[in-house]
Order: sequence, then structure tokens, then C-alpha cells
Amino acid sequence: HQVLRVVPQSDEELQKVQELQDLEHLQLDFWLAPRGLGLPVDIRVPFPSVQAVKAHLEAGGVSYSIMIEDVQALLDEEQAEMLRSSRQLPRDTETFNYEAYHTIDEIYSFMDMLVAENPNLVSKLEIGRSTENRPLYVLKFSTGGTNRPAIWIDTGIHSREWVTQASGVWFAKKIVQDHANNEGVASILETMDIFLEIVTNPDGFAFTQTKNRLWRKTRSKHSGSICVGVDPNRNWDAGFGEAGASSNPCTETYHGPYPNSEPEVKSIVDFVKSHGNIKAFVSIHSYSQLLLYPYGYTTTPVPDQQELHDVSAKAVEALSSLYGTKYKYGSIITTIYRASGGTIDWTYNQGIKYSFTFELRDTGRYGFLLPAKQIVPTAQETWLALKVIMEHARDNMY
Amino acid sequence: RAMELPPSHFPAARAAAVAMGYLRYLRGGPGRGLHLRELRRARRQDIDDVGHKYYLELELEDVLDKDRTVSCTAEVLYPLGSKTSAPDVQVTVQGELRSTEEADKEFYNRIRSLEKELVAENIPDSHGNVPPELEPIHRLAWVASGYLIWQNSTENTKFHLAQVKHVKQVKRSDEDLQFDYVLLLHEMVSQ
Repeated sequence: HQVLRVVPQSDEELQKVQELQDLEHLQLDFWLAPRGLGLPVDIRVPFPSVQAVKAHLEAGGVSYSIMIEDVQALLDEEQAEMLRSSRQLPRDTETFNYEAYHTIDEIYSFMDMLVAENPNLVSKLEIGRSTENRPLYVLKFSTGGTNRPAIWIDTGIHSREWVTQASGVWFAKKIVQDHANNEGVASILETMDIFLEIVTNPDGFAFTQTKNRLWRKTRSKHSGSICVGVDPNRNWDAGFGEAGASSNPCTETYHGPYPNSEPEVKSIVDFVKSHGNIKAFVSIHSYSQLLLYPYGYTTTPVPDQQELHDVSAKAVEALSSLYGTKYKYGSIITTIYRASGGTIDWTYNQGIKYSFTFELRDTGRYGFLLPAKQIVPTAQETWLALKVIMEHARDNMY
Repeated sequence: RAMELPPSHFPAARAAAVAMGYLRYLRGGPGRGLHLRELRRARRQDIDDVGHKYYLELELEDVLDKDRTVSCTAEVLYPLGSKTSAPDVQVTVQGELRSTEEADKEFYNRIRSLEKELVAENIPDSHGNVPPELEPIHRLAWVASGYLIWQNSTENTKFHLAQVKHVKQVKRSDEDLQFDYVLLLHEMVSQ
């Protein structure tokens, strides 16, 4: 069905349109009936009548425009939109919609539900507060023990990379499911803990939802500049301030006034140091479809280069096995570019050998604006790669 | 002579992005959206007093003709020391691209039949959605951004079209269609 709009400019034109109302066999539905000269008339025209209506109008010299090309498509779209935007809070993590992007509040409420449903496996830690005083939450998945060797995963450190926070939510549920079904990472949880920070940059994330969808940095204000925000992936104490970051506060890669100036970064640094037993650290970004290991700030290869390269190869192969998604891998500096003050350069230098960064889907077609229907496939394939890394860490304790 | 580059690494990928920008500008349209499926091979040659020249073998696809694989070779020359000169690009597409005559005509007629000039914004939207009736407008933005990316790239930049912030059809007295776009380009400093 199409919706045509006519704006009668003369009595003759108005009459021609009114004539249509009498032609019952056309089954026309006037959304806006003829009211007078210069006032729009909107007509929903069933497909079989489209030709006849247009011919009638054209014969009378009446111009029309196609307001809606295809009503059914629009209805389908609206249904989808309503499903998307139906902000009825889900009652539990079973009814939570993993195929949509969510707000901070929805994600924080998801975390609470997950903890409430699995109190013996999942707990929520507050490791600090953001510049705008939002809590920084980390989910801990543990079957017991005291300070077991652990795996760390973070998503959303760059706020505009929405598929990462969305994947983090999926990972959280997946860990719980695997444990319940005694498969997948259940065996890893026998001897190791998993820490997952889903919204690593909540101020930035809130900003992408309200003001600027493409915001990357934190929202800190440092004296001496009107520009806001520090790149949290240039703020770590590894080659801080060297080539590969910017000293200009108005740029996307501004490293900040000093290392760990950003509470979002400092809180992780403090956590990692006080925990003291993290064996694998994975920081997740998008986009480009890459798996990267240190260093970014220097061309000197890491001592464990060969091993990290081999693990990467296996992880990427596992990822591709699901949907054929192609990933490349290598060290940051050789594969993409020089970047200083980066997360995994710091964690590696702390002795966390299995330090990796992912760049998830896609390769530029949608970039940061990845369609929601790709969230679950992305999370599923990425999870296979994460499992390779986690299993390798478990089987190669150091 | 020419040094082989790993096609998986960004130095080669940056040159490929320039070639793609140029190609979209030349051959893209509302009925054709060209994307890079894979960079198969890349070599670099440093030419004294001239600049750096990249030789690329690309595998492309047309989003409206996904089953077909299109091969393409490209040469991208970044002029020495120049900050204002665009890279010089030559491309050769092997084989045929799917004809856009029908799609172009349909797009043209549909826009012409609108009562008011088209206005739209945020394509894709925050959730990655592009309404079907705006897909040709989105593909046209790829053509425009292709030109911008080609003209503004250096050996150290890698641009992508992040979003169509705003598009407005400009009223004309002749039968041509004209659109003014405000585009957001992302320079690849991600990670």
C-alpha cells in the first residue's frame, strides 16, 4: 500500500480529489480528508488501485507526492522500533533483550539481577567512581577459594564502541549459563576467577546516549583547557606521553595531564595491583576485527612475543569458525600504529603475560554504529576466542 | 624495488582505504555500494624525490550484488613531503560491475516525486539502523566521502565514513538532483 499526498490548489483539483471518495471499488482510506484549498489530502491506496488513482489524478492535472512508499514496511519497522524501545524493565536475565543496545541504568539493573539470581557464583564490586561520580562496577565470577588466579575482561573503555558493552552483557550471562550446565568455562571456574567490567567508562557512555553518539574519551575537565575528556587508552603508565598520544586536550588521543589521572583508569590500576594474581587481561574495543598484543609504545618486541602470537592465531581461528568473520592479529605497533600509554602495555609490564586487546566487528561499513542484530553473533564468536585465551592461561600457569 | 607488505597490517590497509575512497567516488552511486572484502596483496616502493607508491590487489563486493566477487588492482602514490597534495590513485577493475541503470532510475523518480525536498539526519542512527528508503542516500554519501577521503589522506591516516549527520536536498530549477551532506569522518585512532 502507498500513501499519496495531494494538495489541491484550485476548485477543479479539489473536485477531482473528492471524486475519488465516491469510487468505492478502489477501497481508498483517507488519512486526511479533503478540507479545502491548500490543505493536504493523504490517501492510503491499496496496491491494486495505485495505477487507477494516479491515472485519475494525472488526467485532471493534479500533482501528488508519494508520502509513504510501502506502508507494510513501515509497520514492520515500527513494530521493531517498539520492541526495541519498549523500556519495560525485564524481570530477569532470561527475559533481558541481548539483541538490543541498552542504557547504563538497564545494564546496571541487569548486573543486579544476575547477582540476585546467582548469589553463589556472581558478586558485584565497586572499584571506584568516575569523574561524574558514577559507580565503576566489576562483576566477579568465582566458585570459591581465596584470591585465585584470575582473568580480567573489560568492555566499553571507549564509550562509542557500543558493541563492546553489549557483548560484555552477553559474556556475563554466558559465564553463568556455562557454569549452570557444567560446560564451556565451567572447568576454568574450578581453578580461576573471572572479573568483568562491562561499563568501563560510564560518563562517556552516558554522553553517547544523550549528547554525542561518537564520544570516545572520559568526561574529565583539567585546568587550562575548555576541552573535555582524556583518552583512557593513552592514560596508563607505559610509555606515557611518548609518541603515539597527544598532549592537546582537544584531541581524541589526549593522554591526560599525568598517568592514571582518570579515575576510570586509576581504579583498575589499584584493583590489579592489590589483587596481585591476575594472569590474563583482555581489554575490548571496536572496530577493525583485530586481536592485538603488546607493545604499542615501542617497536621492541615483548619477550613472550612468540607465545602471544601463537595464542592469537588459535584464538582467531576459533573466532572465525563460527560465522567466518575474518580477523587479523599481531602486536599493536606493527599491526595498527604506535600508541603510548595503553592499557595492555601497562598490564604486560606488570607481569600479566596474557595481555590482549580485541577490536570487534566490523571493518568500517558501519563502524561504531554496528546494527544491533550483530550484537549476539559478535559476542558469540568473540567468546570462542576468549575461551582459547582463558584456557591457555589456565593450562600455562606462571 | 618494491617491498612486500603484510596485507593484514595497517600501513597497507591505509593505502587500500585511499584506493577504496577513490573507487567509490568514481564508480559508486545510489545503486552501487562498493566495499573492501579483502586486501590480497600489498607492495610498497620508495621512489627517490617522488614519494611512496603502493601496489595493491583488492577483492571487492557491491552490497547490492554480494554473490559476485570483483577483483581490482590499484596504485596509490603519496607525494613526497606534501601536506596539501592528494595521493595519486590509479585503479583497474577486473570484469563487470552490476549495472545500476534500473536502481538509479528508480531513485531518481522517487526523489523527483517527493512533494518537499528530502531532509534526513543521523544515517545510520545510534543503533546502526538505516531505513530502507534512505539506503540509496547513504550509498551516495559513500561516494561523497570517497572523494573527501581520497583528497585528504596521507600515508599516516585511515579515514572511514562514520555517519551522515545531515542531508538536505537542494531545490533546483533544472532536472538534476542535488544534495548537501554534512558527514562525520572517523580517522582511525581507535583501540
